[in-house]
Amino acid sequence: MALVVLAVVFLVVAGLYAVGVLQFMVSDPNASHHYTHAILFSVLAVASLIGANFARAKRTG
Amino acid sequence: MPSGSIYGYIGDQMTLTQALFMGLLQGATELFPVSSLGHAVLIPSLLHWGFKQSDPSFVPFLVLLHLGTAGALLFIYRSQWVGIIKGFFTAAVRGRIETPTERLAMLLLVGTIPAGILGVYLEHELKNLFASPTAAACFLIANGFLMLGAEVLRRRAERRAAVTAKTRVEQEESFGAAEQISFRAAALVGACQALALLPGISRSGITIGGGLLAGLRHEEAARFSFLLATPIIAAAGVLEIPQLFSTAVPWAEYLAAATLAGSAAYLSARFLLRYFRSGRLDPYGWYCAAAGVISLALLTFRP
Repeated sequence: MALVVLAVVFLVVAGLYAVGVLQFMVSDPNASHHYTHAILFSVLAVASLIGANFARAKRTG
Repeated sequence: MPSGSIYGYIGDQMTLTQALFMGLLQGATELFPVSSLGHAVLIPSLLHWGFKQSDPSFVPFLVLLHLGTAGALLFIYRSQWVGIIKGFFTAAVRGRIETPTERLAMLLLVGTIPAGILGVYLEHELKNLFASPTAAACFLIANGFLMLGAEVLRRRAERRAAVTAKTRVEQEESFGAAEQISFRAAALVGACQALALLPGISRSGITIGGGLLAGLRHEEAARFSFLLATPIIAAAGVLEIPQLFSTAVPWAEYLAAATLAGSAAYLSARFLLRYFRSGRLDPYGWYCAAAGVISLALLTFRP
């Protein structure tokens, strides 16, 4: 469950970077979008969901 | 306009010959454990070439060189990548790893994440801090000693394991394959990739060294290093593709350099995979240390 929550948080952060609301540690603070950061957090979200699925399979199996 | 120059784009100074040379250099040194970034910073400076890779106008050129290198790696491991991608989705949906290929796919994911995080957040700062030829020479020396250190530890592990094989190939066979590395080791090896943002520290050198410390055969450490590098190099290239269309790019010259980079990367990977069946990192370690010292001397004492 914790990993699913983490995935949601990562997705929100990815969205904020993509629309340019979040400017945390970016190379160009004037840029309107930070796609690299958004992609990174999307990958982290996917990895968290995979981790959650692995944990679920371990519990049920 | 001077004949054969990519005039008006890369600082008005890079000739076609220089572009092709940089393509060849990038392709070869990206996979050899000698630091492509270090060489790319040092050699133009030592040859008194005016352009700087840190210049923003250089980005499209670097993008194509990286895509050429990533293309070569994808071509070499094309059948493995098909298996890795299939294995990734199968294991992710099933929630369980059942085959070595599925395990390798997850190891690559675990290894890529720390490199991605550190790369995204530290690349700009590190490149700005250490983009000088003197820093590159110092890091090249450090890179050499890191690889030599990894081999010292490996020899110690060989003695501890009492490996009594007749040949180096047999001796290597007592160590593991890439699929057998632990997830913690994969994450550490992946994180080590971020050190390659320092000009002079080699991505392949540090990851092969890490693989050796994790108990992999040299050839398998090189395979894991190349597989681990492919998504990062490809992503770095693909993410910058829009830059190619933001300004007028001399496509013919750039593509020629990228093709040369890809060809050099292909030949380098083939050579290295063959070399590491019995070879060690030592020659590259000594080369980096010597090249760093000589570069430092030339940079300090040149007129």
